Amino acid sequence: MTAIEYFEVECTEPLGGEYYKQITIDVLLDHNLLRVIHKLHIFIDPKVPVFVAVGMLKKITSLVRVRDFANVNPLEGKMILVISDETYLAPMLKIFWQRFGKDHVEQPDRFTVILYDVAVDPKEIEEIVVADPSEALYKDLIYAFRCIAPEGFRVRRETYGKEKFSFISSEDTLTGSADALISEKFRLMGETP
Amino acid sequence: MILVPVTYRGGIYRHDEIVALIEDLGGYIVQKHVLAQEVVLQCFVPKDDIELIRAIAKPLAGEVTDSPLVGTEIAVVIPSLEIHHLPHPACDIAEYTRRLGAKSNMVGMARGVGKRIAAINDEERDVINEHDIAVYVLGNFEVCIEHKMPILRRGVEVPIVLCGAPDKETLQRIIDPPVDGYVGNVGRFMHRTKESDELAKLDEIIAEITLVLEKKREEIAKDPLSVSPARLMDVIKEQVPAIHEVTSPTPLTVQMAGLRVKLPYDTYAGVLKKTEIEDGITIGDVADIVPSRMRDYILVRILPFSSTNTVI
Repeated sequence: MTAIEYFEVECTEPLGGEYYKQITIDVLLDHNLLRVIHKLHIFIDPKVPVFVAVGMLKKITSLVRVRDFANVNPLEGKMILVISDETYLAPMLKIFWQRFGKDHVEQPDRFTVILYDVAVDPKEIEEIVVADPSEALYKDLIYAFRCIAPEGFRVRRETYGKEKFSFISSEDTLTGSADALISEKFRLMGETP
Repeated sequence: MILVPVTYRGGIYRHDEIVALIEDLGGYIVQKHVLAQEVVLQCFVPKDDIELIRAIAKPLAGEVTDSPLVGTEIAVVIPSLEIHHLPHPACDIAEYTRRLGAKSNMVGMARGVGKRIAAINDEERDVINEHDIAVYVLGNFEVCIEHKMPILRRGVEVPIVLCGAPDKETLQRIIDPPVDGYVGNVGRFMHRTKESDELAKLDEIIAEITLVLEKKREEIAKDPLSVSPARLMDVIKEQVPAIHEVTSPTPLTVQMAGLRVKLPYDTYAGVLKKTEIEDGITIGDVADIVPSRMRDYILVRILPFSSTNTVI
């Protein structure tokens, strides 16, 4: 079922741990996040209380550029962009407005954008970066772990890098030992924090 | 005449005959749902006449089933109304009890989450106490349940059924003083209950609720109510026309020993008090009419025979 190479839930109460394993799988599946996680280790101690999740991420798809969802057709005095996927249309228009001004950008229908009198190479337009999906991924991942973590654990700290992340939460103030705990869990996965 | 709670399910064609029959036999219809071509009646009927209703319903393809939860109002108490508990498992449990005839309300606490920080406030406590029974749906850890349950039940006087992930024996061991019912292996989960073992768990919760309610019914039977709540419902329906203007699904919610009337207290408490049931006896004579903590509703608490010396 899971595409995760390593997945452990460590808990001081074995039965509670089993339930949390199921919750984790359900939530990650619901948020479509199983495909981006490579390794995951969760540690819960309700006595302290503390919830820790550390993991490694798979390589995330690169940046979204104009060429990924639009065809740029240069004509005399104008450039017609034929859009195939509307998802990134809004951020793209925002970038065009900022760069060329609203006078030079027109959108006659949902799937067409026309740029008038723009002194830029069509290739350059194609290469404009519109969005970075990893930013959204970070938000999704943290939201998912907020759902997984026991609800009262509202004091939390999360870190997120290119290929690893950590999430720790508790009801009480997080002390210095939190960092040591995170490092320990990374080591259990065979990774360095 | 002993009235028993049952559910009638049948087609909409000629269902008015069943309605008339139940009323003629001296029964009461607590709730009526019309869903496309189907009618569901939740009602109290005389025990001896169930077979008669079955016989008359047979040509109409209607069926009569026992519904021990008809005429009860259940509070499903959860630590909060966040995604952690909703829609699963809290809604699943509330919906399941509703299918079996109960009127269930969800009580999501403002600060019921966590272990050390869990708390209950006076409004939540009072709202829970307005129900016949409270089903507490707690989480997955023994330590947490042990720690927070004494806080969450503070001041709650109605019977409690506790659901949690530890097994039943563990729950029984950690809760002191004991509550009325326990259902183990139902903790927090994030998927819909549709596997057979999960549905069996829901059935177990219903069985436990039924058991606790039976005990409460026996208690009430020792000192019977001055008037049956279902009858009072009929009286109010007939004599207080404003109740027909209320758009809520159950304008009159029947409880085991009372009634929730979904009309504003200030305007209608006096009207209800003076409403005559029979032979000059008014509702005010046999029941306490108090404001409910739920919106501005009215709560009618029927007094037992011992304090009124009348049974009608």
